[in-house]
Amino acid sequence: MSALLDVLRRHFPEFLSGFFVTFRVVAISLAIAISVGTLVGALRVAPLRALRWIGTTYVEAFRNVPLLVLIFISFLGLRRAGVGIGPWVAGTASLGLYTAAYVAEAIRSGVFAVGKGQIDASLSLGLTYRRTMTKIILPQAARTVIPPLGNLLIAMIKNSAIIGASILALPDLLKQARILQARTFQTNETFFWAAAGYLVLTLSATFVVRRLERRLAIRR
Amino acid sequence: MAIAPQDGRLVELEGVRKSFGPHVVLDSIDLSIRRGEAVVVAGPSGSGKSTLLRCINGLEAIDAGDIRFEGQSIPKAGKGIYRLRAEMGMVFQSFNLFPHKTVLDNVTLGPIEVKGLSRLDARARARALLERVGIPEKADAVPADLSGGQQQRVAIARALAMEPKLMLFDEPTSALDPEMIREVLDVMRDLARDGMTMIVVTHEMGFAREVCDRLLFIDSGAIVEDAPPEEFFRGAKSERAREFVDKIIHH
Repeated sequence: MSALLDVLRRHFPEFLSGFFVTFRVVAISLAIAISVGTLVGALRVAPLRALRWIGTTYVEAFRNVPLLVLIFISFLGLRRAGVGIGPWVAGTASLGLYTAAYVAEAIRSGVFAVGKGQIDASLSLGLTYRRTMTKIILPQAARTVIPPLGNLLIAMIKNSAIIGASILALPDLLKQARILQARTFQTNETFFWAAAGYLVLTLSATFVVRRLERRLAIRR
Repeated sequence: MAIAPQDGRLVELEGVRKSFGPHVVLDSIDLSIRRGEAVVVAGPSGSGKSTLLRCINGLEAIDAGDIRFEGQSIPKAGKGIYRLRAEMGMVFQSFNLFPHKTVLDNVTLGPIEVKGLSRLDARARARALLERVGIPEKADAVPADLSGGQQQRVAIARALAMEPKLMLFDEPTSALDPEMIREVLDVMRDLARDGMTMIVVTHEMGFAREVCDRLLFIDSGAIVEDAPPEEFFRGAKSERAREFVDKIIHH
């Protein structure tokens, strides 16, 4: 027990810096995932077939390729093709665009979950199709989608460890733990604290999502 | 500005056809409804009653024929259809209130978004309408807090807030418990007495007998009876309508 606390006390700055790197990776990737995912989700329910096709292609491409392969393509592949992007861009873009495919699917299902009667009622008042979307359908869809988005956020926090373990070698929480483990050979202790760090992030995410859900919930 | 026909006809249907795939729902319907008339549409389920209403306000596009509102053909799409819908109110079987908005916001949405009314004016109008349908105290509640009958009365207020020239009711009491049917029908009866032109799809024959000027009986997409209610109940011309009256009166 004292060994465990001792590792944390001695290497707290390293753990903390790893924790914040992971936090930044997650925050940037989340912004990408939500914005791209919303756009792609909107394409998936667009009235034009060509737009739906673009959305579907995106989802199938990014959902069906392993995240690690995306990282290799974006970091090594693009570099070989003459587009040199750094590990931060490659990592956050890969994780963000990968998660965006799932976000798009969640948003699509949220739009479909809003009853057709809502569209009828809105149109019958004289609202245009566009206003019906922005005033009636999307606000309800966004609320339905909060719990599945929470799940995606948690998955994304955990997936972010792949970035630290990959060739990108960003000094995130897992990477810092591996460096410490190699230096100190206190394997169980260092990885215990890494796990605890991830737990702090995922549990906070759960807490925030629950509050959001309660505040915005629609009682039916 | 379209000139209203001098004979007071508000809605006219001419040879209206509508099918869903191979299934013909409306089969050459001719119908005209005058200002101030209250018309009840009855008939077995699946006979095309709801589709008739949905075609009149353009929620469904017709395959052939013409529907005119104040002498103006209902366009298939574009701005015209939105403008016409704003002049007709519609009340649905399942209420379809917006669950993420308060009662007051449900009623003010149309006037603010479509008619460009100020928030203040829209709210004043909404409160007056909630008073009229008998639930002024529920202005700040959300739909989930209301009973079915209250929700439907809010839905009526929401439609009236647009100051429509025509009200379409699509089985407004079919989803309600028996004790709540009365409160909704009372509101509708008052509307009819105030001279609102309305087309009501309903199975409430008591309401039809008491309130409406004409009763249409639709079967398999065609109007088979069109008569004042007393005449309809005394002796319908068609076999199908007589059977229907029989069943309703003996149940």
